[in-house]
Amino acid sequence: MRWGMVINLAKCTRCHACIAACRIEHFLPLGMTWPRLIAWETDIPGEELSTIPVRCNQCKEAPCVEVCPAEATKKREDGIVYVDNDKCVGCRYCIIACPYQNRTFFSKDKDPGYFPGSERTRFEKAGHKLYEHQAGTTEKCDFCLERIDAGMAKGLVPGKDREATPACVNTCQARALTFGDLDDPNSEVSKLIKDKNGFQLHPEYGTEPSVYYIDYKLGNAPSNVAPREEQTASHLQHLSTMEARAKQIFGKK
Amino acid sequence: MSRMATRQWMITHEWMVKPMHQREWIERRGIMIWIAETFTSLGAGLYLVSLFVGSWWGLLAGWVIIVFIKLPIHIAYFGKPWRFYQTMPPWSNAWKTSWFARGILFSVFFSMLGFVQLVFGQPDFVNLVGANICNPIYYTFGVLAGLNALGVGIYGGFIMNYVKGIPFWNQGLLPVLIMLAGVADGFGLIMAVGLAGGDASVIWAETGSRYLLLINVLLITTYMISAGYSSETAKLSIKELVAGPSAFMFWGGLILLGLIVPAGISIFGLIEGGEAATPLLITAIAAHTIGAFALKYCILRAGIYRPLLPKISAF
Ligand code: SF4
Ligand code: SF4
Ligand code: SF4
Repeated sequence: MRWGMVINLAKCTRCHACIAACRIEHFLPLGMTWPRLIAWETDIPGEELSTIPVRCNQCKEAPCVEVCPAEATKKREDGIVYVDNDKCVGCRYCIIACPYQNRTFFSKDKDPGYFPGSERTRFEKAGHKLYEHQAGTTEKCDFCLERIDAGMAKGLVPGKDREATPACVNTCQARALTFGDLDDPNSEVSKLIKDKNGFQLHPEYGTEPSVYYIDYKLGNAPSNVAPREEQTASHLQHLSTMEARAKQIFGKK
Repeated sequence: MSRMATRQWMITHEWMVKPMHQREWIERRGIMIWIAETFTSLGAGLYLVSLFVGSWWGLLAGWVIIVFIKLPIHIAYFGKPWRFYQTMPPWSNAWKTSWFARGILFSVFFSMLGFVQLVFGQPDFVNLVGANICNPIYYTFGVLAGLNALGVGIYGGFIMNYVKGIPFWNQGLLPVLIMLAGVADGFGLIMAVGLAGGDASVIWAETGSRYLLLINVLLITTYMISAGYSSETAKLSIKELVAGPSAFMFWGGLILLGLIVPAGISIFGLIEGGEAATPLLITAIAAHTIGAFALKYCILRAGIYRPLLPKISAF
């Protein structure tokens, strides 16, 4: 089993919902970035804008794992590359070595609070209790491994059952993100890669990324937008998960 | 207009769309890496040169630079410095794959082995204990400490050379360049030891320095040319050094002070009959040391990543 993601570039509407979902899911401090939506403008008429959602590629041959002197960056059997923040010494070699620049060093100045100078919001206070970010260590996307593990423990299937699926995939209203097992030739991700000639970023580095891209086109997205009811449902479902967590901490207030 | 030549502007998130500089190891606290890396070269180079020259004072100075300047600065850069021990066995076996972990091990072994060598080479201690006991220990530990000093001097090159995303660093020559630059710096500093009344011959050091400077000029030229052929992004790195924002450091620090001034003084000394005058030698040593800082600065500053989509942006 090797978890992977397929990103349909033609479908991405650059709504930033995946970025927000990851921020909410992991209570990311203001200055931290796990996934990114990178975009640029060209001067080709009719093809003015392109966007590419990027996140850690969970490389099969991950340079960040090889270089980490503290063995704090590890790869699991299911292919997920994660950081053990209790072991990380903050040397930042993994940040340098990642050819895709998908890692961020977390320093205190990256957590000024969502409203600097004001009291922390309830969301932030909840985050400090639920998801500790250790200043002085490095972080990155981990394919929401806590969701995958908790979901699988309940017999759910990542990529199919929302509870076991990464937050950004759930929330994408355009359905541009697909998650599943790359080792299963019948999984949706494998089929998409095969049918649509999925490509990886810089395969020549030999890193074997687990994130694939399909339907690339230079120029204006979107070519596809999910129906309104589907958008609303995905957003609401995600927010309701967060509400349940907040209630655990603050009671019903 | 071809797509390759298309002008591109980042709008939503400016990240890896165009070639992007590495910042972690040169900006803000990253300056500490620059300083630590320079002292790595200076200390390891001086230790190795002192081993050849047989200068106990040189060994001591090299050891002090590594143990009391390089290592503390490097560790202070860590986000969690007190976890430093977790990079070594038995807490971590990362040395099998990571040059960083190897470098830390080299530094620690060097600190311990070098200490023993220094103790058993200290003239008063030798007089007290006897040369027949001290000498075998001194030489054995000298070989071991020397090998580790070699590791200390070269690992920084391998660390950078491993980074596939930065073509200017991803060159086989980089570890050699960094090692030999360190040895040249060692020759510069051993002159200082000699001038300060230590046990090193200034003439010998000047001769060594002359050869090393020549080798380094050739090496730097070869490096720049071969890197330039490797990719468009590496070409940008070279442009950055030669005519970009780092040109002052490259031409003024590395080429002028690091190479031309010491070489000029050395040649002048040769013409004058063996050894340049003391003020000139002090100038050469200072220029050499500034050159060492400039070299590391240039390498770290010119670390530019290839963009994520080379097909689109021609990198
Ligand atoms: S994308 Fe970067 S951080 Fe993620 S696994 Fe690959 S090398 Fe590591
Ligand atoms: S910053 Fe942390 S995770 Fe990254 S290489 Fe250093 S110890 Fe490993
Ligand atoms: S998979 Fe999870 S951790 Fe990674 S970007 Fe998506 S939400 Fe964030």
